[in-house]
Amino acid sequence: MMARDQGTFKPHNPWPKFGWGMLAATIVVTAVLGLGILSRSQQNAPTLDLWSAICRGLGIGADTGPATEPEPPLRAPTRIAWTTSTLDQIAAGDAQHGAFIAMNCTACHGQGGVSASTLIPTLAGMDAAVIYKQLDDYRSGKRLWGVMGAIAQALSVQDSADVAAYFAAHPDGLPPLRGYRVPESGRSLRESDPAKRLVYAGDPQRGIPPCSACHGPGGFKLGAPALQKQQAAYIERQLGEFAQGIRQNDIFEQMRVIARQLTPEEMHVLAAFYGKPGDTKSAMVLGSP
Amino acid sequence: MQNSSRLALYHYWVAFAAFLPAIVLGAWQMLMRSPLPAPLDDPNAYYTSVTLHGTAMAYVVTTFFAIGFGYAVTATSLGRPVRGVAAAWIGFVICLIGTVMAVVIVVSGRATVLYTFYPPLLGSAWYYLGVLLLVGGSMIWVVLMIYNMAAWKRDNPGQPVPLAMFAITATALLWAWAASGVIVELLGVVLPRALGLSTQIDAALARTLFSVTLHSIVYFWLMPAYIAFYTLVPQAAGGRLYSDTMGRLTFIMFLVFSVPVGMHHLFADPEYGAGLKFIQSFLTFFVALPTLLTVFSICASLEIAGRARGGRGLLGWIAALPWKEPMVLAVALSLVMLGLGGFGGLINMSYAMNSMIHNTSWVTAHFHLIFGGAVVIMYFAVAYEMWPRITGKPLRSKALARWQLWLWFWGMMIATIPWHITGLMGQPRRVAVFDYSDPFVARMAPLVIISVIGGAILLVSTILLIVILVRSQLGERRLEAALRYALAVNPPKTVPASLNGFALWNTILLVLMVFAYGYPIGQFFILKSKVPAYELVRPSNTAGAR
Repeated sequence: MMARDQGTFKPHNPWPKFGWGMLAATIVVTAVLGLGILSRSQQNAPTLDLWSAICRGLGIGADTGPATEPEPPLRAPTRIAWTTSTLDQIAAGDAQHGAFIAMNCTACHGQGGVSASTLIPTLAGMDAAVIYKQLDDYRSGKRLWGVMGAIAQALSVQDSADVAAYFAAHPDGLPPLRGYRVPESGRSLRESDPAKRLVYAGDPQRGIPPCSACHGPGGFKLGAPALQKQQAAYIERQLGEFAQGIRQNDIFEQMRVIARQLTPEEMHVLAAFYGKPGDTKSAMVLGSP
Repeated sequence: MQNSSRLALYHYWVAFAAFLPAIVLGAWQMLMRSPLPAPLDDPNAYYTSVTLHGTAMAYVVTTFFAIGFGYAVTATSLGRPVRGVAAAWIGFVICLIGTVMAVVIVVSGRATVLYTFYPPLLGSAWYYLGVLLLVGGSMIWVVLMIYNMAAWKRDNPGQPVPLAMFAITATALLWAWAASGVIVELLGVVLPRALGLSTQIDAALARTLFSVTLHSIVYFWLMPAYIAFYTLVPQAAGGRLYSDTMGRLTFIMFLVFSVPVGMHHLFADPEYGAGLKFIQSFLTFFVALPTLLTVFSICASLEIAGRARGGRGLLGWIAALPWKEPMVLAVALSLVMLGLGGFGGLINMSYAMNSMIHNTSWVTAHFHLIFGGAVVIMYFAVAYEMWPRITGKPLRSKALARWQLWLWFWGMMIATIPWHITGLMGQPRRVAVFDYSDPFVARMAPLVIISVIGGAILLVSTILLIVILVRSQLGERRLEAALRYALAVNPPKTVPASLNGFALWNTILLVLMVFAYGYPIGQFFILKSKVPAYELVRPSNTAGAR
């Protein structure tokens, strides 16, 4: 086919002449319009010289170019940003060394990170990134709670990654996070149980997204802890602290905005919903023992 | 039955077998979004369903239908069996395995990423591999179409390639160009992350690559319908094609213009400058040319047929057309939907106007009207035309077929017109549940309920389609006339080499692609735009090995 079509490239044939001519015209016209005229004079910006206009048309502005990773500003809720280097740091955690450090945690967080106290969170099975972020927040004073600040300050960055890796891999705690589950009825705004409705559908009128989108079951967001089988009283207290602004280490104030909208009753039923020790259907789907 | 006919029939059956469950899912999704109670009201199930519906309709139904249609057209238009049948069957099996893999993974809930993948969303690698097999397997068909056309040209030097064969080869080439985007995206960006070879994903690059596929795939779906417009409709109406050259030009223009335009799906994306978006927006307007040319040619061809049947006066020829033929009825209904949907599309592709309707149900309405309406109704008509020729068993009742087409038309109109309006009111697409007690949303409720009725009509029409095809298949064998393509008023004796092959046009398209996509894709090799993936399936945390 190619061999016989060679003649089609000879410029004296009418169709190639037409095709190449139209192509050239199209390229010139669109480039002049798009990169020249349109980019030169925008309504709310000063008219640019041609070179700057072409750069703007291509999307090269003063504020773009190769992306850099800026230092978080001083009033940021946390020092952690989910950049490549952060993730690599967490991934480099050594669970064996972490087990050694974790012996310091047993007194409060329980043997192997499975908490026996309702006000102290279970750490076993919690995502490594979550533990790493909270330790860094305690270290920098972004999150304040009793002795945790002092304990975190005693740990190096590598120690935090190690202990996070240890607890994340430890069994018998929180059920492992899985991004999928078997569909189930009653997970829409039509649900009458307020806890279930908030968890699975949220409340659009108050701007509350579904808890499960980030905290599971079914959803996962980097840095957000899975809540299923977590201690109920601990969850309720954290919601209260977010609502009152006592706890401030949530990125973009997401949890503070949400918790302020919740009534105390709602906080209670939500904590009870997540804190129930594995007797919901979802928990079984999630593979709890 | 000839081997090439069996090839076509198997592909058709897979396409329509996937069509029915996908329609059921679509109807349920509309119920889920409406104020009416829906069974299994779970937003996660909704997104799983949207993924399945999209994957089935966009990849499975269309690819299998186009491939089957391609083999049928090759055998009938060239008047000889398809060459490379063994390879074709291998391709069929590969595509089928890919389909089953993708469907199983989506049903198990491990790849709720929608058919557009949307990185940094990340599903199971098996889903992407399944889609890759399906798309990659269809490349065997692409090669076979080109090979068959080239072989025929070698055996018939100087002869014009029959229009139907020319057009189906254009379709195959278009699909190769279109699929290149998604194949490179899967192999280069998504799969390395899904397989755990990298920790981050370049979502912007992935979106750019997919945009190469995103619009041209629509024209790949459209092409079988246009081939039917040019080669089957005039014949069914009892007339002749107005112009063979116009047909060739149309398919060449579709090939050249439908690929370098995909960025008009990404007008709200931050990763390109306004100038680049404008260029592709401008190029998009050229895609209207072949469609306008087609509407003109088909109306002219139908007028020729109507006047040949004794129609008189300015519009008398319309009444004289054989409206009892499903093909003639389908083309009229198709053109109505194409017209309405097409004008909606002009709004989508306009850089400034797009922001009014971006990501609203207007967009869903647009492509359902164009693809689900104008194109799919022609798929039905082609099936009704080809089934009897392939199996030797005629349709039991043409009246039932007409009912099916009318129901499809009204179902689609009733479903999509309310969507257009709610889209203008601001209803987002791809949202599972709406709070209809909110006054802003409440005024959309009646329209959404009307569209649910349209969805139910579409479901009925689909069931009717399957009934008609099964009844025909189970019927007694009777010989039918072979499929014949419409002759042009002036059948071509010779055509210029440029209109008898694609070398020139592929070269022009290559230049155009480098112009339109060179910088937008190239910039990612300088920019650092990788982000953490939003995993649907999270590997268990093992020490230090994430």
